[in-house]
Amino acid sequence: MSTTLAYIRAYIGRIVVVVCCLGILAGYYFTSPTVGGVSDELYTWNMCISSFTLFVGLITIFSRYGRSIINRDTNWPFHLYCLVLIIIWIPFGFHYGIYADLYQTAYLSTKITLHIAILGLLIFFMTSALYRTFRIRSLRTAVLTFLAVVMIFLNAPYLRSYFPTAGDIAYWLLNNPQMSGARAMVLCGGIGGIILGIRILLGHEKGALRVTGGM
Amino acid sequence: MRLPELKSEYIWAVMMIFFLIPAIHPIGLPFPMDPVTYEVYNIIESLPEGSIVVMGGGGVFAFDLESSAGMIAMIKQMARKGLRLVTCPVWTEAPQFHKYVIDAARVDKDKYGGPWEYGVDYVLLPYMPGGDMVVFDSFLKDVHATVSVDLAGTPIDELPLMQDLHDYHDIALWICPHWGFVSVIRIVAAQYGITCISPAQSTAYAFFSPFMEAYPGKVYMLNGYVGGAQYEALVGIKGLGHKVMDSYAFASTLIVLFIVLGNITMLSRMGGEEE
Repeated sequence: MSTTLAYIRAYIGRIVVVVCCLGILAGYYFTSPTVGGVSDELYTWNMCISSFTLFVGLITIFSRYGRSIINRDTNWPFHLYCLVLIIIWIPFGFHYGIYADLYQTAYLSTKITLHIAILGLLIFFMTSALYRTFRIRSLRTAVLTFLAVVMIFLNAPYLRSYFPTAGDIAYWLLNNPQMSGARAMVLCGGIGGIILGIRILLGHEKGALRVTGGM
Repeated sequence: MRLPELKSEYIWAVMMIFFLIPAIHPIGLPFPMDPVTYEVYNIIESLPEGSIVVMGGGGVFAFDLESSAGMIAMIKQMARKGLRLVTCPVWTEAPQFHKYVIDAARVDKDKYGGPWEYGVDYVLLPYMPGGDMVVFDSFLKDVHATVSVDLAGTPIDELPLMQDLHDYHDIALWICPHWGFVSVIRIVAAQYGITCISPAQSTAYAFFSPFMEAYPGKVYMLNGYVGGAQYEALVGIKGLGHKVMDSYAFASTLIVLFIVLGNITMLSRMGGEEE
């Protein structure tokens, strides 16, 4: 690709991003019906593009896993298993409808049940891990163990009925230290996001929108 | 005396036994009621007949199953009260979850002889792509511009219930039985002032319950299976929440006991090393 074409492509990408970002942002700050119309239209486009990405994801899985199966890469049998399941489930969904009772029953009996089983296994690993790791060797581990036990009490109604204060301590911990820490993280993330957004719009960030980058 | 380190397999076996015993023979251990559960029950109870409630949000079905205990009880209460329900799923598995909880509540007139008729008392909408907050904002501004058909592909303009639901003015309450409650709080509660309730899974509760302090009177959460069981007790049913409560109590107690045992083992071995 010539340098000129590369520049044009990069600039078109940046112009699209800038126009869309400003279009959505304007919808928040101006009450003009025209601005609102543009903002709503961009929302609709966003939904259409998001739907399309599901389809792109399907093609990507077939492409990558298909290559993996042909080349007999590591884990290729699992990739084959995945593709077979997709091939079975898509016509099944098309034929019966993905919200039909039969599809729902099959979905609950297979994917959801297996997923729940995987999640359920965590409690066993967690218990053996807690037995080994929550050993009070220092002040820090003592604090960590105390906090963990208090939170367990919060979710253990039987224990809480004997030690009601544990529930109060747990709520205090959630509503004060936890909330302040979580808010600090959210604020940092938000400010970082704004700075990143400005850098992207101005072309200072490396990646697809940097006109002179990666050429 | 030096205590031996327990093998993980032994710990897992003990856990398995204490999970299975209450599952086979429920004991019915008592659990305390939280004041928030009463508040949530009274909020739904105080809504006028015919009010429209939205069950919306997004999450992974397997995670959200914990929320289903409280959600199913709420649906039963809403059906009994003559409230109406519309779903707003924003993650791909949410429509299936919404269908599951409504089916599990057995409120449909045609399927179970319940009080709710599809299209009149409740409507299941399909997955709405575009991102949680974008979709919520669009949905609350103009429902009919955001979604045009229901799960079965029927145009929503043909459904009697949807003719009474146009924008956020028509929504009395928003319930989010999913992990993604923060997006609901940011848009539905903070921006549009609608009261939001989440029968949350316990991990989500630990993360997001401070929002109840941040938005008093607007945001309410139930704590996982415990909250679900409490709500079931208020509605007068014994569902999933009650079924898992014994296992929950045993598992929690065992975890604490194993932590204590781990520390005793450590102390005994420290003594042995000194000898």
